[in-house]
Amino acid sequence: MNSLKSKQIMKKILLLIICCFGTIWASGQGKVTFSPATFTSEDEVTITLDVTGTPLEGANDVYIWAFSNDGVGGGKDASTNGQWGASSPNAKFTKTATNIFTFKFTGTILFGQSPAELINFGFLGKSIDGSKQTPDYKPFKFDPLVFTPGQFRLFPAKLDNTDMATVYFHQNLATDINLQRMTNIKVDLSFYNEAGSVVGSKQGIATVKESAILFSYSFIPDRVITVPAGTKLGKFTYQFSGTVKDAGGLDVQANGPVIEVVYTVFN
Amino acid sequence: MKRIQYILFAICILSIWSCKPEEFPPIGEAQNVVKSIQGTWGLTKVTQIDQDATTKGFPYKQLDITSVYPYTDLVVAFMGDAQGNPSTFTITSGNSPKIADLTTGNWAVDDVKAPTTISLKNGTITNSLSIGSYVSLKSGKLLIKRDKKLNGKVILSYQYEFTKK
Repeated sequence: MNSLKSKQIMKKILLLIICCFGTIWASGQGKVTFSPATFTSEDEVTITLDVTGTPLEGANDVYIWAFSNDGVGGGKDASTNGQWGASSPNAKFTKTATNIFTFKFTGTILFGQSPAELINFGFLGKSIDGSKQTPDYKPFKFDPLVFTPGQFRLFPAKLDNTDMATVYFHQNLATDINLQRMTNIKVDLSFYNEAGSVVGSKQGIATVKESAILFSYSFIPDRVITVPAGTKLGKFTYQFSGTVKDAGGLDVQANGPVIEVVYTVFN
Repeated sequence: MKRIQYILFAICILSIWSCKPEEFPPIGEAQNVVKSIQGTWGLTKVTQIDQDATTKGFPYKQLDITSVYPYTDLVVAFMGDAQGNPSTFTITSGNSPKIADLTTGNWAVDDVKAPTTISLKNGTITNSLSIGSYVSLKSGKLLIKRDKKLNGKVILSYQYEFTKK
């Protein structure tokens, strides 16, 4: 009995230590905010970088080193980068307070790429000679300027955790042969709190057949799951699924990809 | 020929003589919008508008969501005082999703003669709703819009159409 108790205490201590290290690690990463919070590649954006807890803490001069399309191909260095050992004066952040720096840019100008080419970007803050730097901050997505039809769609494109969401499956745009042939189409929903833990899920929800090639489901989170008092939902995922016939004519399960939607915080 | 000239001259004189200023009928009393808003209204239509998609010219700009949940259960009562000024309000949702954070309190408008915004207040909580066309008020319809903004830019709107009970 005593051994069980001490094991539980040890577990709690371990969890506390992990939490402490997590907090220390997070505080050492600096903080980035954007104004406006969402932007296209043609919008003028102001990055506010807080270098507290990074190797640049206390610095007076911080330079941006930016790059586009991280992890998706077709990336370029920002035109203002200069050399790693000698940053361009155009890359200099404006110091607005101790450890707080801002940098204004427009994606298409900074990277010399068209809106169609720009998907995301990342950056870090550095000293002029590159001897000190912050971690990479990436990837930050540009809002699309051109509508691209896809097999899955959300309406509205930006919403918070109290809004009605409608998820769509355009079967005629499906790229996977099983999804193209899938029948008896249902959707699975999972909701997560701001820490990323699952708050509730509902599987196998019947979709609305809007036409022969379009299926949808509309919902407000608290009508699908019970959201505990004080819990704030941070995101949800949806996954369309159905059945296809195998070679023997039997129904087998077919699943689409899990799509994640992060809730916008309106202000 | 001379006779024709006389006739034309006579027609001209008669035409000029017959001209006289026309009196316009009275335009009637100005519509008292605040008074028109007062009363009990049942929610009949809810439209979700993706303003960001509208701005960018994307397809799929709006969606009628009235039938998704029992929105038509919702009833709003805007009360007025003896002078016809806005006073209290109640929102009875029934099984409808909420359309505002408040269910009771006081309501006010930004401009008594030409209101564009209704403010619902209870304690420190205030919800602002935009008023739609005044013309529809005459036919017993109240259009109210609620905007959701990100850094001052309207991203998403809900348009509520109420019918007077």
